[in-house]
Amino acid sequence: MAGTEPAERGARLDRDKLLAARYRAATDRPYLASALYSLSVVPSTGVPTMGVDRHWRCYVSPSFVDATPVPELAGVWIHEVSHLLRDHHGRAERLPAADQRDHRRVNIAQDCEINDDLLADRLPLPEGRVEPGTFGLPAGRIFEAYLPDIPPQDTHLNCGSGAHGVPAPWERDGPGLAKVSEVEASALRRATAEAIRAHERGRGTVPAGWRRWALEILEPTVDWRRMLAGAVREAVAWAGGAVDYTYQRPSRRTAAMRGVVLPSLRRPLPRVAIVVDTSGSMGEDDLAAAMAEVTGVLREVGVRGNRVTVLACDADVHTVSRVTSAEQVTLGGGGGTDMRVGIRRALTSGDRPNVVIVLTDGYTPWPEEPETCRLIAALVGVGAGAAPPDPPGWVETVRIGDPPGYAAAR
Amino acid sequence: MSVNTPSPDPLAAADELTARARAWRTEPSESPQLEALALAVTANLPVLLWGEPGIGKSAGMEQLAAGLDVPLETVIASVHEPSDFAGLPIIGDDPATTGVPMAPPDWAVRLAAAGRGLVFFDELSSAPPAVQAALLRVVLERRVGSLTLPEPVRVVAAANPPSSAADGWHLSPPLANRFVHLHWTHEPRTVARGMAGTWPSVTVPLVDPGKISGAVARARGAVSGFLTARPGLAHHLPADAEGRGGAWPSPRTWEMALRLLAVGYATDASREGLASAVVGAIGDGAGIELLSYLEELDLPDPDRVLANPEAFALPKRGDRQLAFLTAVVSAVQGDLSRRRWEAGWVVLAKAVDAGVPDVAARAAVDLAALRDTDWAVPSGIDGFIDILRLSGAMPAGS
Repeated sequence: MAGTEPAERGARLDRDKLLAARYRAATDRPYLASALYSLSVVPSTGVPTMGVDRHWRCYVSPSFVDATPVPELAGVWIHEVSHLLRDHHGRAERLPAADQRDHRRVNIAQDCEINDDLLADRLPLPEGRVEPGTFGLPAGRIFEAYLPDIPPQDTHLNCGSGAHGVPAPWERDGPGLAKVSEVEASALRRATAEAIRAHERGRGTVPAGWRRWALEILEPTVDWRRMLAGAVREAVAWAGGAVDYTYQRPSRRTAAMRGVVLPSLRRPLPRVAIVVDTSGSMGEDDLAAAMAEVTGVLREVGVRGNRVTVLACDADVHTVSRVTSAEQVTLGGGGGTDMRVGIRRALTSGDRPNVVIVLTDGYTPWPEEPETCRLIAALVGVGAGAAPPDPPGWVETVRIGDPPGYAAAR
Repeated sequence: MSVNTPSPDPLAAADELTARARAWRTEPSESPQLEALALAVTANLPVLLWGEPGIGKSAGMEQLAAGLDVPLETVIASVHEPSDFAGLPIIGDDPATTGVPMAPPDWAVRLAAAGRGLVFFDELSSAPPAVQAALLRVVLERRVGSLTLPEPVRVVAAANPPSSAADGWHLSPPLANRFVHLHWTHEPRTVARGMAGTWPSVTVPLVDPGKISGAVARARGAVSGFLTARPGLAHHLPADAEGRGGAWPSPRTWEMALRLLAVGYATDASREGLASAVVGAIGDGAGIELLSYLEELDLPDPDRVLANPEAFALPKRGDRQLAFLTAVVSAVQGDLSRRRWEAGWVVLAKAVDAGVPDVAARAAVDLAALRDTDWAVPSGIDGFIDILRLSGAMPAGS
């Protein structure tokens, strides 16, 4: 939370008030009760207000408790547990190093992510809180999205290592202190997400931010880049794994055995054909991104040059043209699309590919039965309007869309 | 040369310096990842360590082998041919009668001679698929050529995540499904302390012979109970290539989880180490569900507690206290009598003593509502009055 006054030394913690606030928070937001009660309280005169570390210990300033009314204190409890539930310290570790070092800005961005939900939930928060409006930013984003727009500033706002990942000076560690391990924390997150869904189904309303978070925990969306790269890598490895014996070169072990000619192993370098749908319904940006991703992975695994064929396919006029890069693909008129033409042309060409990657919006008929090669379908620009029909089960399918909020952050 | 008295060996002093710099000692400390590794190795399950290059996987293996007092053989998988694992054909005098034996490589012979040991396949994911396929037989059947590795030999492999290695493939699903997957990360603080000369020591879990049968029965009950409740998790192949190359639930991995749990119960392993090992066998989602199921099983039986409320210990973590106290109140509600109702207050008083009256406050309100008008107001309720009043749940002055 926003810092107000550094605590004076030797103040006694009003435990009853603090716990009453936690009780109130847990009664008002029953789906957060388990997580709230999993925090262990550590009184500390070093912390300006309240803060958490990554082991789910909550450091509390006695004078802050004295000065803050119970309803606001309840809001602060929810604020602090939100840092931990949303795995802010884990996500902060995945930021670029320069951003990680600037933990004050990270903390502010994280507070923006949390506080807009709490305010939308009509929870009172103390004065001096940070919200996206403070910086003229729209509400409802994740902290990674806020971070670039937060100006550098000098503030002693510090929610602890449970938020931005950098240990604060007032944090303590030792064998005697209670702690929640990483695995237990993920179990708690899952349980909380399920409680949110149950609460929503029952009667209560849940802020949009929490609903999105719960959905993401229970059914995480995977970044399509990793999916596509994984699919391409695996298909190429599969084609490259078609190891065969050859007598063209004798085995290096032949010299050890007189009178025996051992074959050596040959590992073919696979050929890859990329069939690009050039019908007008394709999104140009998504297409370029998917194309860059595919060629990047192919280059990384050593498939390049004349081993990669790019075919621009437009079924209406039945033209299939070979291009060498994404820039040469021109998106043409609308109408029907038939990727089968492109796939057929790729497979009947002189250099038969082992892997065919189809970049399409999905509005195309697919071959009736499995081809004698790996087929990967990258469905570009999915999400706008009605969903296209699914490719057959034997086609490895990756849906390329905007990386959804938490998926990009996780 | 400005040196007047030539030393007999110009490198002797330099070597001494190197030896001095290389010396380190160990100290006992908690490291869940080391403990999970030791657990899986104790259970004799093949382990796969995922980690960036150069973060001390090999060093960890050396320590573990020293701790277990077994020989360690390191084999860099990516520089070998498939025939190095399938065996090298050797021609005898008369192949027609004696056949062509497939000779095992030296590391396998040494391990077979020792009868026990630890074999460490490094850079597994960088090995081409054909080598991975040959390794499958070593991991699964313990056969290297015509040699069978003795049962006590433990297998550990290491792989770089595909995102960090240019030539890293995803592991083939059949191979991936035979390993306990552990993510090896480095703790900057541990490295800093290690550079000062002190590394954390591996505590080797020792199976208590007296606990064996109980531990196995308990693990069997836990896993089979969970799978009865969640049959969908018995086999679940992930949709994407990356997931398939990691840990995922299948009958084989459930068997592994069972063995890990049994070893954990028989060795008093820490919850954290056991949890990482189980998650490494059956994957994140299934693993976390199993662990929370086990924790619920672990909660005291409310009826037994109400029969003797003085002699029980409140669970340590807040969410489990909440679950337990809620269960106690609903047990009282289910079979209401004055004796049980008063026992309920004794239980709730423990939460006040433990310094977490707010966890029990909800339960206290519910329990108070069950009061028969003839029953005396219990003294235990005082512990909650302040909390309820301050929180606004009870009007001031009531």
